[in-house]
Amino acid sequence: MARILIIGIGNPLRGDDGLAWHATRLLEQELKGQDVEILTCHQLTPDLAEAASRSELLVLIDACAEGAPGSLAIKPVAPAGSFPGFTHDYNLETLLKTSQSLYGCCPRAVVFTITAESFPYSSELSSCVAAAIPPLVARVRALVSGFHKDSAGRHESAEEGPLSRPGRADLTTVN
Amino acid sequence: MATQRIEINPVSRIEGHGKITIYLNEQGQVQDAHFHVTQLRGFEKLCEGRPFYEMPSLMARICGICPVSHLIASAKACDSILATRIPTAAAKLRSVLNLAQIVQSHALSFFHLSSPDFLLGMDGDPAKRNIFGILEKNPSMARDGIRLRQIGQQIIEWMAGKRIHPAWVVPGGVSEPLTPECRDRILAVLPEAGEIAQRTLDWFKSVIDQFRAEIRTFANFPSLFLGLVSQNGELEHYNGVLRVVDSRGNIVADRIDVLQYQDLIGEAVEPWSYLKSPYYKPRGYPEGIYRVGPLARLNIADRCGTPRADQEWAEFRELERGAILSSFYNHYARLIEILYGIERMEQLLKEPEVLSRNVRAFAGANNLEGIGVAEAPRGTLIHHYKVDENGLITWANLIIASGHNNLAMNRGVLQVAKHFVNGAKLSEGMLNRVEAVVRAFDPCLSCSTHALGQMALHLQLVGPDGSVLDELRRG
Repeated sequence: MARILIIGIGNPLRGDDGLAWHATRLLEQELKGQDVEILTCHQLTPDLAEAASRSELLVLIDACAEGAPGSLAIKPVAPAGSFPGFTHDYNLETLLKTSQSLYGCCPRAVVFTITAESFPYSSELSSCVAAAIPPLVARVRALVSGFHKDSAGRHESAEEGPLSRPGRADLTTVN
Repeated sequence: MATQRIEINPVSRIEGHGKITIYLNEQGQVQDAHFHVTQLRGFEKLCEGRPFYEMPSLMARICGICPVSHLIASAKACDSILATRIPTAAAKLRSVLNLAQIVQSHALSFFHLSSPDFLLGMDGDPAKRNIFGILEKNPSMARDGIRLRQIGQQIIEWMAGKRIHPAWVVPGGVSEPLTPECRDRILAVLPEAGEIAQRTLDWFKSVIDQFRAEIRTFANFPSLFLGLVSQNGELEHYNGVLRVVDSRGNIVADRIDVLQYQDLIGEAVEPWSYLKSPYYKPRGYPEGIYRVGPLARLNIADRCGTPRADQEWAEFRELERGAILSSFYNHYARLIEILYGIERMEQLLKEPEVLSRNVRAFAGANNLEGIGVAEAPRGTLIHHYKVDENGLITWANLIIASGHNNLAMNRGVLQVAKHFVNGAKLSEGMLNRVEAVVRAFDPCLSCSTHALGQMALHLQLVGPDGSVLDELRRG
């Protein structure tokens, strides 16, 4: 089982909405061999709950419409909300809730967003969003690295005695 | 003359966009009904001038649910232009890929789109009557649906590189041979898929009697059934010959080479839909109404050809003496086909030949015309191309599975509306049943709206009081 699941979401033919596809392409190269599963999709669906339930950390990368174009935001997400009446309204909170309801567990989850400038019919990113991709990739890489270190520490502590506590990777918000 | 109109827009839990109009008379009784497909695709035109070898990848973009079917039918049409016989291993691998897609697409239809009607009731709360309602009401069924679909999609990804719009199927065969590791991975997940399919079939058979009214009225009328069968009459989704049976189960046409499809099938258009209306040519329009898809395939075949599916097929065919007529039974047929697909994939993958390194024939354009036919999840899929001497497409015609069912879906909508809809007192459950009859066919409307010649058009200028002030008809 891959312990970290990264999901890039968006439409790669609608300008900045496809930023996650650009980011996950870079992450695929940078995180090769690190027990990370990377998926890209146009929207979240209940089918992803199974993959989510098999992971310990879920990273979602998405475009957002609020804030200054090109700004990066990172926030933790917990399972919540009621199931929507329409699959297009399905979000990360309800995906986590689905994972918990169907499979009895859900991973810790963090969402990374970059504010989009525009959504034209194009596979190109606007310059400010393209410039924000490398910092996003660096932050995800740091999170993954921190997660692996924490896990290794937990593993060692668990071998030492029962007083160990789960670690927590860095989750600051950047604007 | 109709005085009132009920519009269901959009029809929910189907693939693509459609609406239903029900016309009521002065007494509030249903007089007529139409299922309109409101989207238009332009693939036949936009492919003109493109090299024929681009067609499989181009045509796969017609659909995100069944791109493999379009890949395969298109590649077969291109094989015909190459005038080559593709390597046997390539044909078997294409066949496995097509079956994997049928498993995942049928799982989507049964679990995600239709099971809310079965589990939460046709009259259940519409806010809950969806896949999320299933998550709450029956988590084990939701898990089964997710897993079965995932297995089908995973097999497609392992074989062809990605789940949606893979490029592995090419004119002349497939681009890469199957590795032993990939074969073993697929064989390892099939038993779990088989258990899910059998468990779901057993459950569905135990509850199907709760839907007697729907079975009686969901497009339950005599019609012809059309599809591919193997040379010895077994269920066949990749190769084979066309067979037509009537409502009594009598074979009307048999062993028809797919290249002769135009002798069997005519195409008509109506002004109220972008979906064309194919019909069985010898009986004319609209008398030549026929159905394709899971129910039709089980009606035309002499048997499935795999052990467990054959047992289920025998039990299924005992439902009626002749052909099974109610389209509600498409759901049942879909589950049997899932079981068949899993068993058949296992049979094919255990043949040593599937690991052959010879999987592609190379040639240029040797024929100026090519026809490719395969069974898609929703029924018979026909791609027909003409090319110039440089191999550039000059003309294309597509007859898509859901299009074959257009006449039957419309008659089914009218039948259900007449039975359930009372214009004096409408309920949501009544209208849900009108949608559910369409859902039983599992139409893929984004796939199926392909024009024939000049688009038929019916334009009405309607005044504020609803009266028609002016009218224009074309086609």
